[in-house]
Amino acid sequence: MDKSRYAFGWIVLLAIIVSILGPMTVRAADNQLPPLEKQLIETLRSAAPEEKAIACKQLAIYGSKAAVPELAKLLANEQLASWSRIALEAIPDPAADAALVEAAETLQGKLLVGTINSIGVRRSAQAVDRLAARLKDKDAEVASAAAVALGQIGNDKALKTLRQSLAGAPPAVRSAVAEGCILCAERLLADGNGRAAAEVFDTVRKADVPKQRVLEAIRGAIIARGAQGVPLLVEQLKSPDKGRFQIALSTARELPGREVVEALSAELASAAPERASLIVYALGEREDAVLPPAVLRAARSGDERVRLAAIAVVGRLGDASTVPALLEIAAESDAELSQAAKTALVGLPGKKVDVELSRRLPAAKGNSLAILIGLVGERRIDATPDLVKALDNPDKSIRSAALTALGATVGPKDLKVLISAVVDAKNAADAELPVRALQAASVRMPDREATAAELAAAMPRASTATKKASLLKILGAMGGPKALETIAAAVKGGDEKLQDAGTRVLGEWMTADAAPVLLTIAKDSSSENKYQIRALRGYLRIARQLDLPDDQRIDMCRQAIAIAERPEERGLALDALKRCPSAEAVELASSLLDDKEIRDRAVETAIFIGEKIKDKDPAAAKSAGEKALEASPPKELADRARALTAP
Amino acid sequence: MNSRRPDRLSRRGFLRTSVGASLAASAFGAMPIPSSALGRDGHVPPSERITLGGIGIGNRGTYDLECFLEQNDVQFLAVCDVKAARRDAVKKLANEKYGIKDCAQYRDFRELLDRDDIDAVLIATGPNWHATAAMYAARAGKDMYCEKPCTKNISQSLALAETMRRTGRVFQAGTQRRNLPHFAFACELARTGKLGKMHTVYAHPMGMSALMSGWLPAEPEPDKEVVDWDMYLGPAAWRPYNAKLLDGFNFEKGGGLVGGGVLEWGSHCVDLCQWALGADGTAPVEYNPPENGQIVARYENGVKLVLRETGWIPLGSCPVRFEGETGWVEAGDSGKLVLSSPELIAGRTVEEIDGYPATFHVRDFLDCVKTRSQPKGNAEAACYSHIACHAANIAIALDRKVNYDLEKHEFIGDREANRLRSEALREPWRI
Repeated sequence: MDKSRYAFGWIVLLAIIVSILGPMTVRAADNQLPPLEKQLIETLRSAAPEEKAIACKQLAIYGSKAAVPELAKLLANEQLASWSRIALEAIPDPAADAALVEAAETLQGKLLVGTINSIGVRRSAQAVDRLAARLKDKDAEVASAAAVALGQIGNDKALKTLRQSLAGAPPAVRSAVAEGCILCAERLLADGNGRAAAEVFDTVRKADVPKQRVLEAIRGAIIARGAQGVPLLVEQLKSPDKGRFQIALSTARELPGREVVEALSAELASAAPERASLIVYALGEREDAVLPPAVLRAARSGDERVRLAAIAVVGRLGDASTVPALLEIAAESDAELSQAAKTALVGLPGKKVDVELSRRLPAAKGNSLAILIGLVGERRIDATPDLVKALDNPDKSIRSAALTALGATVGPKDLKVLISAVVDAKNAADAELPVRALQAASVRMPDREATAAELAAAMPRASTATKKASLLKILGAMGGPKALETIAAAVKGGDEKLQDAGTRVLGEWMTADAAPVLLTIAKDSSSENKYQIRALRGYLRIARQLDLPDDQRIDMCRQAIAIAERPEERGLALDALKRCPSAEAVELASSLLDDKEIRDRAVETAIFIGEKIKDKDPAAAKSAGEKALEASPPKELADRARALTAP
Repeated sequence: MNSRRPDRLSRRGFLRTSVGASLAASAFGAMPIPSSALGRDGHVPPSERITLGGIGIGNRGTYDLECFLEQNDVQFLAVCDVKAARRDAVKKLANEKYGIKDCAQYRDFRELLDRDDIDAVLIATGPNWHATAAMYAARAGKDMYCEKPCTKNISQSLALAETMRRTGRVFQAGTQRRNLPHFAFACELARTGKLGKMHTVYAHPMGMSALMSGWLPAEPEPDKEVVDWDMYLGPAAWRPYNAKLLDGFNFEKGGGLVGGGVLEWGSHCVDLCQWALGADGTAPVEYNPPENGQIVARYENGVKLVLRETGWIPLGSCPVRFEGETGWVEAGDSGKLVLSSPELIAGRTVEEIDGYPATFHVRDFLDCVKTRSQPKGNAEAACYSHIACHAANIAIALDRKVNYDLEKHEFIGDREANRLRSEALREPWRI
């Protein structure tokens, strides 16, 4: 694809700029400037506002100090000041700082606020004195902007000014002064000066400032102190104030160190359940998280909300040593707790967990055995002998669990166990679970062709057509040449149930190699074949949905149109044609313009393709339009067709 | 210091694991939170509900809001919109939902943010306002669900993450695909090494041109009570009223200079690629301009991020594909997955949910409002996926390769690219 297409918007923009500039007088002092910047500066001097605006955007990228004087003139212009600052904020030269600081001397109201904001963004250190003076401005918006700008500049002088102003600032400005202080403190902290940062945070958190500023300062004060901030963290955890408790929860996740874990663990004992559960989650989401004993205790007993949270954390941070506790909980009668423990056991990291679960399997009985078998399956632990033994257990739920687990774990050597479970099942109901297990196992076998051959070989052993159909479905889920060959043979075999199952499977085939098989079935008009339409629709699904070369897709559409007796399938072929816009596709779509049943759809397809190929093949597009018009389409389509025929 | 969930990796961690060392650390899923653990399984008394306000509730916002209204632990209290018709429509929706008459209406979102009784806000304005409104909300002490694209440039992306960290607020970007099972599973396969050592991830940008919104001829400006043009412009540079610009969806997206399909769709699909690589705290360092229908970007460890329009298996909109040395997976909005081997999904049931609903994403956000955890579309994740999109757009705009320094957050040796990292806001707004 042409690279220039992507830069089109950009090129158009530049072209517009150049075209609107017109003839210009280049001033002598500008002679050394690049031509584009010269043109843009000239635009600022003389052009209409909208042209000046776009010139500002360009000067943000290409401007130098030479552009600053003209840009500065716009700072007092209510319509263009913001455009001007786009450039002035971006031009690296100190002349831009000077221009903004100078403008801040004379501007008022919103224009002054904007200019101060830009000074803050540029962190213009030379502006500190003037911003300090603006802290006392009677316009609270101006004073607030100055405070935040000082915070963004963040040097010693700016911080000192802000701290001195905090207590005495008018209420409407105090929040911004506090914000400025916090910004300075954050910078100190980032520079490794935690002690100084903590002092600033303390000043803010103890000041009469809005609650959100206090919370930010509390967070900062804790983090700046590191381990020594833990008492302040605990104070917030104990606070009846929801906001303080919440900031403690998020800060507890950020602050590293064992002291934090110990403090949170200690809080668990005394906190109300609704808070304790939230403390547990915080413990579970720390970067240095290890499982605290208090969480394991909380998982074992106590309030259910706290237990559920603790079980989830054990599942994330526990190890093999926590298996017994979780298994005990999994065996409890409370369904939610039991399920939470099972989920935790499935997610518990480490191979030692697998070993511990396998070790317990031979001696387990009843519900414990069912839980263990389920876990073996979910964790995909290789325990085939024990699972095969469990297939003979008198308890049906255990036999079912074992089958499911075998589906998830059995290897190629033992696949025959599941094949036998399917083909030897007494009835269809008994075969349902083995079929699911066999499918789960078959699709994950490393050599799928060999597995397909093993399943194909089992077909004659299946005593009923239902069982054979199940095997076909499994083969369909696997895909591959052997599976396709087996299904094709079954469909040709004359058994209606197998034809039904086979054509269903082929209709969902994920590769194009099923197309010839489906086409053969679709063409078979013998009375034994009840699935011609289904096969044709499966064939067209491949043409419409799968990734195919255009010529193959068009050929498939041609074949389908030739044999499709119903308009529905001819319409599907037209849909597929839209995926490969070309002169050939136009021709094929146009061949259906005489077909009364789908004429409008054919017209729309021809036009659609014509519109797609208009640029690369105008003759074919015109032909599409002309053919569409010959079919006397409805007005909307006729208009589109005429557009294609226009020179 | 950053607050991170254990299922997310630092940049260093991403680099280490992607070159083939142990991937076990990234195998964590989100912390499962049973409904009863947070007391949301039955009737929730009004005093314990999360109180919500809506800012900029148009078509998408109404959809999002309906997802919130489905939750029994949410109470919607107020709507702010610069358009009277939208204010009235949302008020009607909320009043009918609750059988009340007093859903409050505002034209200026700062009045809504001033209310102490509102815990969280839904920000669904056009992209012009997203980052600015989000940062005002954070400074006002609100948690927020913010539609995407969340930022207009790289500078805003960094400021967004920093502001949320500093203020301790919970931020969820409207990247709802992170909470859809099939996308999450595809990302998990990549992130946990099931596809082998990762080498390429693919995203669908839906257009690769650098766009800008313009200055259209002036039209008579409506009364402020009908459409408040000044508030609509907000942080965007001034221009006269023109009704055609009222389509908030496209207005000033990406700062009005860059930000076409790569930002619009990349904030979803590039974001998924980042998650798949466990790269939420990092971004590619090299971005090439489009060539042969593709934009190729590279991470520090050599993994490629490819944005391409064609070559997708038909799985609906917003497809992604993740390729490792031993396997691949592709997923799209149909809810379907295609895998290089069925074995990758053996033993797992992955729910196929089409139509990319936001319900699960909203739920994730609300749970995190309670637990103070980081939601899946948290500010840092959004920051870096947006940086990747903005940097790709800058490569398009300048039509040359640009290299990005992740430590300094600047382009290496490219003054023009660096000047496109940020853009001044119209007075009196700031980030």
